[in-house]
Amino acid sequence: MSDYQVINSRLPRLDAPAKATGRAVFIDDMSFPGMLHAALLQSPLPHAHIVRIDTSKAERLPGVKAVITAKDAGLVRYGVSPARYDETVFCHDRVRYVGDEIAAVAAVDAETAEEAVGLIQVDYEELPAVLTIEAAMAEGAPQLHVEFPRNLSAEVHQEFGNAADALKASDLVKTTTFKNKRQDGAFLEPPGCIAVFDLDGRLTLHSSTQAPHYVQRTVAMVLGLPVGKVRVVKPYVGGGFGIKAAANTGELAACLLARKTGKPVKFNYSREQVFMLCRARHQFVHRMTTGVKKDGTLLALQHECYLDGGAYSSFGIATVYYAGSLLGGPYKLPNMKYDGWRVYTNKPTCGAQRGHGGVAARAAWEQQLDMIAEELGMDPIDLRLKNMMQAGDVTCNDLNMSSLGMRECIEAVRNSSDWASKKGRLPKGKGIGMACGFFVSGAGYPIYRSDTYHCTATVKLAEDGGTVQVYSASAEIGQGSDTAFGMIAAETLGVPLDSVRVMSGDTDFGVDLGAYSSRQTLMTGHAVKEAAEAAKRQVLDALAEELKVPAADMDIREGRIVFKNGPVDFSGIRNRYIKEHRGWSDSPQEDFLTFREASRIAYLAKGTIVGTGKYKPPLLGGKFKGAAVGTSPAYGCSAQVVEVDVDLETGRIVIEKMTDAHDCGRAINRTSVEAQMEGSLAMGMGEALFEEVKFDDRGRVINCDLAEYKLVTALDMPPVEAIIVESDEPNGPFGAKEVGEGAIMPTIPAILNAVYDATGLRIHELPLTSERVQAALKAARAKK
Amino acid sequence: MILPKFEFHEPTSISDACELMARHRGEARLLAGGTDLLVNMKKKVLNPKRLVSLGRIPELTQVERSNGTLWIGAGATVSAIAASAMVARDASALGLGARALGTPLIRNLATIGGNIGSARPAADLPPALIVYGAVLVLRSVAGERRLPIGEFFKGPGLTAAHEDELIAAVVIQVPAGYAGAGYLNLGVRKAQDCNIVNVASYLELDGRAEVIRAARVALGSVGPTPLRSPSAEAVLIGQKPTEALFDLAADAAQRDCMPILDFRGSAEYRRDMVGVLARRTLTMALAEARSRN
Amino acid sequence: MKQLIRLTVNDREYEVGVDPNTTLVDLLRGHLGLTGTKKGCDLGDCGACTVLLDGKAVNSCLVLAVQAGDRTVQTIEGLETAQGLHPLQQAFIEKGAIQCGFCSSGMILSAKELLDRSPHPAEPEIRRAISGNLCRCTGYQKIIEAIKDAAR
Repeated sequence: MSDYQVINSRLPRLDAPAKATGRAVFIDDMSFPGMLHAALLQSPLPHAHIVRIDTSKAERLPGVKAVITAKDAGLVRYGVSPARYDETVFCHDRVRYVGDEIAAVAAVDAETAEEAVGLIQVDYEELPAVLTIEAAMAEGAPQLHVEFPRNLSAEVHQEFGNAADALKASDLVKTTTFKNKRQDGAFLEPPGCIAVFDLDGRLTLHSSTQAPHYVQRTVAMVLGLPVGKVRVVKPYVGGGFGIKAAANTGELAACLLARKTGKPVKFNYSREQVFMLCRARHQFVHRMTTGVKKDGTLLALQHECYLDGGAYSSFGIATVYYAGSLLGGPYKLPNMKYDGWRVYTNKPTCGAQRGHGGVAARAAWEQQLDMIAEELGMDPIDLRLKNMMQAGDVTCNDLNMSSLGMRECIEAVRNSSDWASKKGRLPKGKGIGMACGFFVSGAGYPIYRSDTYHCTATVKLAEDGGTVQVYSASAEIGQGSDTAFGMIAAETLGVPLDSVRVMSGDTDFGVDLGAYSSRQTLMTGHAVKEAAEAAKRQVLDALAEELKVPAADMDIREGRIVFKNGPVDFSGIRNRYIKEHRGWSDSPQEDFLTFREASRIAYLAKGTIVGTGKYKPPLLGGKFKGAAVGTSPAYGCSAQVVEVDVDLETGRIVIEKMTDAHDCGRAINRTSVEAQMEGSLAMGMGEALFEEVKFDDRGRVINCDLAEYKLVTALDMPPVEAIIVESDEPNGPFGAKEVGEGAIMPTIPAILNAVYDATGLRIHELPLTSERVQAALKAARAKK
Repeated sequence: MILPKFEFHEPTSISDACELMARHRGEARLLAGGTDLLVNMKKKVLNPKRLVSLGRIPELTQVERSNGTLWIGAGATVSAIAASAMVARDASALGLGARALGTPLIRNLATIGGNIGSARPAADLPPALIVYGAVLVLRSVAGERRLPIGEFFKGPGLTAAHEDELIAAVVIQVPAGYAGAGYLNLGVRKAQDCNIVNVASYLELDGRAEVIRAARVALGSVGPTPLRSPSAEAVLIGQKPTEALFDLAADAAQRDCMPILDFRGSAEYRRDMVGVLARRTLTMALAEARSRN
Repeated sequence: MKQLIRLTVNDREYEVGVDPNTTLVDLLRGHLGLTGTKKGCDLGDCGACTVLLDGKAVNSCLVLAVQAGDRTVQTIEGLETAQGLHPLQQAFIEKGAIQCGFCSSGMILSAKELLDRSPHPAEPEIRRAISGNLCRCTGYQKIIEAIKDAAR
């Protein structure tokens, strides 16, 4: 058992009671007096010039309060990476995908706003569209953005060591190609927001976002406001998974409409619009060549990747870098060459989704490693263990594995799944497979170039001493970060969790880059810990003064003051406390000095006790172009074993069991760590087997609902065994690092490897629908 | 998503419902469970001026057995059919179809009449009803008529019902001894799917001699309507049931289907799966037939 | 034209005027202020809007408000009693079955329908009962554990 009083336990989440009873307030549960409702006019064509926009009919519709287009919004360019600010709020000359926004309406109710949108007349001159990577890269292809020729949104060319030479020196060289499909975030809560201007011109945007800070900056920039006049507040958020990590058009339009009308304006994305907003996982096409020695030692990886980006860049530059850099580990790989191209197409824009950039690459490579192991006559686990890095190793692209419980993860899943008695021994149609993966615990650098702290936190003690208030601008979006920070604050201060109140998701509470790149536990956790330490110090200092006991001789544990050198008479403090709370019925009676009394004394001595904390990572990574992407203060890692049953006639795959071990450094909340692992596996399984956003030849999403875009249901999901591995990360608060995204990394390749074990077939394209598997089975039978 | 505006009627008897449908001929639609109609109205695919709800007509929800006949009111919910011990015993393939349909939430709303009346080619209940030789009881102000379900479907969303006619009930002759049926559906995941292929089969054996006296095979999702497979049935009738025979029947069923390619699946895959599911449902039907003696 | 309906929601009787094209979920959330019922797709695909209608779990986005007239509706807000939270709510909290919480109301109500008719369900039955309630966060594992726990 650990020495910790609060962390590393299974305390229920702080927000669970509100969510279990329907009390938790999400954006669509909110309203303001006089609130208007907005609707967006979106392009029905994938690519066209806008010849004329006539809003007069819409403006005349009773109930309509404002209609805005690019004329009102201006043409401020924004996006995610400043190097690719390629969006404007509304299109003024050209639309680039079905769903590109042209105008917005605010009206007394949603029905009227939608009706008004239907009355806006737009004359288009249709342009030829490019809907695939091949079409976009073809000679003479229609161009989406004049300033980014050849439809290249970004390209990457990196080489570490000398891959070509290393391949020549290899005993076995294997080349495979791999393709995934475009995903949808498919969070249960569609994004929405309410923009409210006060009479002094200050804007408060309530939004279902996972990055209040970035939204604040984008809104301020686009509306031409100082950052200090924009406040972004996040209510409870129904999942994000990366898609809600940047400002969206709905937010910007609502702000503009609120400014124009002087009324609060609400906008909600419909489920169909979520598919048009997209910003989710790209389609990647990978071609990988790996060279190994006879004994399995990895020598080189030569890797090319093409990404179907959609109409704008969003997070895409980071995505195309991650797709390469995240193969630097966890295996010792001395030579790596990577060439990546992210291509504009006339489709909704892809962005970041759980496992940003690395998921398809990991799937492709981990399947290839299994193929290599087989050709070398090695057990796939042995091949991986042979090449595994150790804590302290640095990858060829300068990522520092400051802790790495990879070996422990592999051992754990091997034992728990009974790998040895199953691998290669299951009847035809049944299979077992494994894979590994790792991921950042927060990006080493912010998305815009800056020396900013990545997060700040404040811990304030209530004047009666009874409550610890933790403030940060971090984003609880369902992953459990509020609870983690409450636990970190409680552990640090030495009080029970129930005396902590956590407030977050408000840019007025500080700076926090938000919930993406699995950064909050490590980064915001550091800031909260530092803030709590500062508050604790002030309490002990005040107590030292009052009791004439050196602060170093005291500590706080479980809400009581610990005197290290024997009992101290604190009756004076107690009498004072009781006197000041005459009429209260809960006077301290304990035979020890309580934290409540101590922090009251501190308040009386110094005024409100406020501790502040901050965090930014040290300078990380190499000096080469793009070296920042992939850097992190720490890396989480995991290993998975998947067992499948494949119907050899229908091609249908049933996943029977998943065993996952994840090194999260130190579990702040054990239940939440498992919950992240289980959720990651479900998302990975969906991507492996079912999920694919499909388009018709006019660039329209065919399956833009949750009936035809298939998430795993409770019937599809197998039992999951989640095993926590703790490696005590030196750069993490209490040794903690990520779990939110890394756990998805091995899922797809473990399934692919299990399907091979069951069928003898290597499938290099996702999803593994029954039809795709059956076609492969049929082709294999025909060959025989 | 906002529903378009419409006038709403909630009659409490079949005859009142018929009256309303006659009065508003051409502009009224029947609202049963709403799981198909309301979705299409929200998506602006359908925009009826009036809805006549069947939700408050008690006589539509009867499920009873008398004189070897199973009478299922059109308003019976799919979950009621899925949970019915009587259906499980007397028309097991229908029960399997009901269990396969949508989700528990959808099954609690959707009705058997709605599942038939909306005439979706991939619907879960029609194949079983077809192989059981179900007869639909149709009502209108003109009176009652009975129509074998096989003659009801005319195309996707199209039926032989007149504009002012409603399905009042489905009648199934309870299969005799040595008769059994099976139903299987194949989608992408295990719940909430639009079928890629669904097949029901029915076999009636000549007592212990085990010669197939009657056989019916119905194929869903592989044509504009659920289809009977006369070729498969011809292969089966008069033969002893064997694996080899079922393989031949499965091949024949593949020849009878008319699958199209759409985003859910290719024609080739659907055709292949017709064979697999036909064989498997025949095996189920045989097992049940042998157990019912 | 608005129609006057009476219905019972969480043991309280309401008399409200509704347009025929108002769905039950919008009546609950918009008119009655019961925002614990969530709207995730509005097409009957996700289950976030699940309520119990005469004891049966249904997608309230696929029910017209007028159809709920003279019937009994139970929403997540109706599960607590003077004795405290419903055992399912308690189990969801304790077992970590809640992450973003957007599916939780519907999930709990589907589970309640199950436990009301089958107090000690086996795991496959649990999985089946919640198969119309999508969850993108949990992988269902802890939800299933919570339902098992509540059924104990």
